[in-house]
Amino acid sequence: MKRSTLGAIASVAYKEFLHIYRDRRVLVLLLILPPVFTLVFGHAFEIGDLTNVPALLINADQTPHTQRFVDLALTSKTFRWRMQSPQAGGESDLLGHGVQAALVIPKGWSASLVNGDPKPLRLYLDGADTNTAQQLEGRLQETLGKFQLNERQEMIDALPEEVFDLAKKLPIEVRKQFVSAMTPWSIENKVLYNPKSRFIDYVVPGIIGLILQLLTVTLMACTIARERESGTLYQLMVTSLRRREIVIGKILPYLAISVLLILTIILLAGWHFHVKFHRHAVLAVICFLFLLCSLGLGLLISAFSRTQTQAIQFSVFFLLPVFVLSGAFAPLDQLPKFIRYFAELFPLTHFCRAFRLVNLYRAGISYLAVDLAALCFGVLITFVGAMFLLRRIEQ
Amino acid sequence: MSDPVIVLDRLSKFYDSIHAVENLSLSIDSGEIFGFLGANGAGKTTTMRMLCGLTRPTSGKATIAGADVWKKRQIVRTKFGYVAQRFSLYPDLTVEENLRFFGGACRVPRTELDKRIGNLLQLTDLEAKRGVPAGSLSGGMRQLLALGCALVHNPPLLFLDEPTSGLDPVHRQRMWNLLYDLSHSGITIFVTTHYMDEAERCTEVGFIERGRLLAKASPRALKESFSAKLLEIDVDPVMPALVRLRDQPEILGVSLRSGSLRLYAAEPEKLVSRWRQHWPFPDLRWFGERWVDADMEDVFTAYSQGYSAVLKPLKE
Repeated sequence: MKRSTLGAIASVAYKEFLHIYRDRRVLVLLLILPPVFTLVFGHAFEIGDLTNVPALLINADQTPHTQRFVDLALTSKTFRWRMQSPQAGGESDLLGHGVQAALVIPKGWSASLVNGDPKPLRLYLDGADTNTAQQLEGRLQETLGKFQLNERQEMIDALPEEVFDLAKKLPIEVRKQFVSAMTPWSIENKVLYNPKSRFIDYVVPGIIGLILQLLTVTLMACTIARERESGTLYQLMVTSLRRREIVIGKILPYLAISVLLILTIILLAGWHFHVKFHRHAVLAVICFLFLLCSLGLGLLISAFSRTQTQAIQFSVFFLLPVFVLSGAFAPLDQLPKFIRYFAELFPLTHFCRAFRLVNLYRAGISYLAVDLAALCFGVLITFVGAMFLLRRIEQ
Repeated sequence: MSDPVIVLDRLSKFYDSIHAVENLSLSIDSGEIFGFLGANGAGKTTTMRMLCGLTRPTSGKATIAGADVWKKRQIVRTKFGYVAQRFSLYPDLTVEENLRFFGGACRVPRTELDKRIGNLLQLTDLEAKRGVPAGSLSGGMRQLLALGCALVHNPPLLFLDEPTSGLDPVHRQRMWNLLYDLSHSGITIFVTTHYMDEAERCTEVGFIERGRLLAKASPRALKESFSAKLLEIDVDPVMPALVRLRDQPEILGVSLRSGSLRLYAAEPEKLVSRWRQHWPFPDLRWFGERWVDADMEDVFTAYSQGYSAVLKPLKE
């Protein structure tokens, strides 16, 4: 590159830096938003477990047997039970009671458990939030299973001696089979990739991506639109600045700022949330490609819109589906197939996947290749597109 | 002093069906102050933007110092400075930062830049405002700063698009004095305006109307091309007189000047002698008349309204 070109780029970059520096509101936004977002998101999703869910317990079968079940249920950390007398009724009005579940022990339940025809417990669940209802039911099922096991053990302990004598006459294999059948069968699992199931470890790339897209795309989108709106773009064009010098000069300060933003988030995630980062060089490459993609997108929107207002509107229209569908905060696997294909269009999708492949899965480059290629392609497309649009402005 | 710097050869710009500029041919010599006169929307700005390489000509071509303004625009741009009609500097940057940025953008060597900025601040009398954001300058100072930024790379040619519109008379005078200084130092100046009195300050004037060049000559030659004598009459009440005289078939046009009516007519002497015998408007009191010289506004009106009866061919 020629010396004069470098000088021209430096002039544009310095001017652009002054714009950011003089606009105190944006500066504050740039400094405050990343750490605040990281803290808020990190703590918001810190506890993945359901605890202290308010629930109603209506015991219409006041027997010692039922009481044993109630005592066991009360030890659960998942629910915060509130007793209610069966006469009050209205157990299906969860909203009115301010609870998320209501458990009804029907009259004659304990009797039914021993007369060979066990009655089911009745459970009302708040299904508005699609995840919780199933989880709550599962927990209750667990408690009930434990109760059943205890009861069975007690039943066995209470059996008369003759039964055991009789049992001793059975062949050894059959006895072993019985013992096995009576022992609770279990799963010994080993959770891989995110063994402590910490959500923060999963969501870090989402936070980086969210903040970068939000700030870099909107700020970058405003730069050229602002010059176009104020007429300074023509003043720029009559200087001997070349198009690429303007573009590179405009990008440099935002590039530097974005790198600082990423470092802030990563350091904060490391210190405060004890997130570990592996293979820094690969992560840096992924971040850098994503950064260029974001800046390119901003540039594209900027070259496309005539005013700053338009630039902001286009940015928001673009960013909204990205945040929902990119898999930054929730896995993509449950989405329908065509939406998943649609999500592949967003750089954030590839960034999050690649970042997680490295940092959670410790996967090799061959696993990342597709996402890296997609990011490179995104950089290429956005920059070429922006250059093309800028050329059209000139004519 | 007489080699043409800017040459326009049948330059045209069409926006869909609108002919913004049509077959414009003219040449401007080095060292001139060329005033481009026309109403709003006559095609002045479009012409200037084509010359600056900001708009691609639909047909025809223009050259600056022999280089095509569109095909060689990167080279041509080093040869001129441009002051746009709208304020187009960075309001959040200070006076000095604006100058420094445009200096850098125009590739003024770093070693020379400080000296040039010093000179320009002195020239535009903005030394005291050096550290003030451009956005908080008054309209006149902004325009002076815009001029400074356009001159930062020491161009031999300067384009100014209505540099004095919206300025108070004091700043207008100051701007023109600066332009004279620049012209004196050898810079060719191409300036658009719709103020007639400013046309008198130019060495060459071109009239443009609906995208076509009507005339181009020195202000003196243009005024001399106004053949008819100009009659000014005093009538009372003046407004009804203006309206009714305008409708007379032998009168091409009427304009109100300082309370008197200026009449554009092919044969004003005949008109006056006829009126002496019989004044056809008994309800209007005629109490005086005199012969006056045509000024630039009269000439422009005659050209733009097509009063060919009062014009004679321009002397080259």
